[in-house]
Amino acid sequence: MKILIVEDEPVLNKSIVDYLSSQQYLCETVSNYRDALDKTECYHYDCIVLDLMLPDGDGLRLLQALKKNGKTDGVIIISAKADVEDKITGLSLGADDYLGKPFHLPELSVRVAAIIRRRTQQGNNLVQFEEITVDAQARAVTINGTELMLTPKEYELLLYFIVNKNRVLSKNTIAAHMWGDDMDIADNYDFIYAHIKNLRKKLVQAGADDYIQSVYGMGYKFAHR
Amino acid sequence: MKLLDKYSRLNITATILTFVIGSLTFYFLLNYILVRELDERLQAEQDEVTAYVRTHNALPDVVKTKDQYTTYEPAISAAKTEFQTRKDTGREAENIREIHFTTAVAGRYYMVTVGTPLEETEALQKVIIIVTLAMVAAILLIGFLINRVVIRRLWQPFYTTIERVQQYSITEQQAPAAAPTDIDEFALLNRTIQEMMERIQQDYHSLKKFTGQAAHEMQTPLAIIRMRLDALLQQEELAEKSAVNIAEIEQAVSRLSRLHQSLLLLTKVENRQFVLNEPVSLDKIVADKCAEYVDIAMAKGITIRTDIQPLQLQFHQQLAEITVSNLLSNAVKYNQPGGQVELVLHGSLRVSNTSDRPALDGARLFKRFYRDSVATEGTGLGLSLVKQICDLAGYTITYEFANGRHDFIINFRDNISDFLQN
Repeated sequence: MKILIVEDEPVLNKSIVDYLSSQQYLCETVSNYRDALDKTECYHYDCIVLDLMLPDGDGLRLLQALKKNGKTDGVIIISAKADVEDKITGLSLGADDYLGKPFHLPELSVRVAAIIRRRTQQGNNLVQFEEITVDAQARAVTINGTELMLTPKEYELLLYFIVNKNRVLSKNTIAAHMWGDDMDIADNYDFIYAHIKNLRKKLVQAGADDYIQSVYGMGYKFAHR
Repeated sequence: MKLLDKYSRLNITATILTFVIGSLTFYFLLNYILVRELDERLQAEQDEVTAYVRTHNALPDVVKTKDQYTTYEPAISAAKTEFQTRKDTGREAENIREIHFTTAVAGRYYMVTVGTPLEETEALQKVIIIVTLAMVAAILLIGFLINRVVIRRLWQPFYTTIERVQQYSITEQQAPAAAPTDIDEFALLNRTIQEMMERIQQDYHSLKKFTGQAAHEMQTPLAIIRMRLDALLQQEELAEKSAVNIAEIEQAVSRLSRLHQSLLLLTKVENRQFVLNEPVSLDKIVADKCAEYVDIAMAKGITIRTDIQPLQLQFHQQLAEITVSNLLSNAVKYNQPGGQVELVLHGSLRVSNTSDRPALDGARLFKRFYRDSVATEGTGLGLSLVKQICDLAGYTITYEFANGRHDFIINFRDNISDFLQN
């Protein structure tokens, strides 16, 4: 899976590349509009992570160029301009998703994964982790072929864990993904614990290994024991 | 008082005064001239009598006519010639001008009186009063007509300009053009307002641009901190030792990010950058938000009770969501374990929660960065934002505290009736 990262801020750019590379994506990176245009004209990417405010032009112009050239690359906009109007403009120009800065990297990874699933495996939206299979289109989970009933929140949590496997995910990051970033309830993450406990129990009871590990004081990690 | 009325009042007073003074002067002047003329005639009469006496040494015969009479009376000595106006006690009661002089006939003195009535000057007086009154009446009438018809038309450009200023909205890209006028004062007014609007608009747009750029510039470092923290988390042996520190930094970053977004939003609401013209189903928003908060409430053992009736508003989707979300989030956050939250939507929205905290300070409650003494979390902007949104939409928000329950009530009524009328 090839991903192009268009971001002029070097530290951000590197962080995104590091994270997505660790998720087995092949990342290429540019820091301005001209280079981005050159790259997209020559190659196909499964997903483009696009910053809007570039030193030599508005990232929205890249969307217009892609559309004009009949390109089908998936695009996720990452921008500090999180106005509703900006979102609508971006999405109407053909972007698949819009993420306001500052975002959590696992959140970006989940959204990129969703875009790639939609774009490349039409009708076959399967996410696999060992004996666990998640059908992202039917929102169904099977373990060793047996269907597992999950609540919408538990399903969301499982998909989030699998996409961000082998990473330590802080409670804050998980809460932001599940309940929105502007939910100002930082004093109490007990409600996350309850959902994770239930999910863990259901998975183990259905015959899966116990992949959800709690990391002391930090959060959780979905990985082999 | 209208400028026109004030001006008319002054104008009319001055006109009447001028006419009265003018008429009085005119009257006295004419009177004086006419009396002088009469006096000259009477003097001529005296000369005639004196000449007659000198030649004939006898008094002339008395000829009494309607206009003039002469009388002789014996006198003791010679007296000075003098004029006198007196009131005739006769039938017509008119004023009479007389000359008295003495003449000596055959060694005896006689007082001669020649009189003539003043009826001409009295007629003149009447005419002058009538003409004055008629002219004052005519001036008032003409002034009234001019005011009603002409001046209203003359002032039209002024009212057009006022209307233009009233309808002016800063969010428009271009200041509206002024209606042309050939009156210097109005042209000056229009030009000044036009310049002012353009200046305001420029300031407004540069401010808007600045806040946008500031947002970008601040969000980028925040994004970097957040991502680097994530990288730190992945180094488990390191992260484990400083878990508390990392978690606290992460929370602080989230809070800073929220704070920043709230401030930006607050600025935008205060600058009236939102147009409230979307149909919004508040009942749906309240239900959705309650569903979102159920998990968090349950973790604290808080029950959320709702009583929702459908309510359509002409409002703004995002602002409506923020309003409900902020009130609900406070109601959950500052609740006590095992407490209750109650949302009632019956034409107005009441968000009520139990809490072991004392009543809030109603005067400072909606101020920016207000927190009660116990609160540590939160941006301190939530209620201020809700208040600003309510002010923008013309809603009223009130706070009540009774029996350990904190109630926030938003009244939409005014806006609803507007909506129905439209």
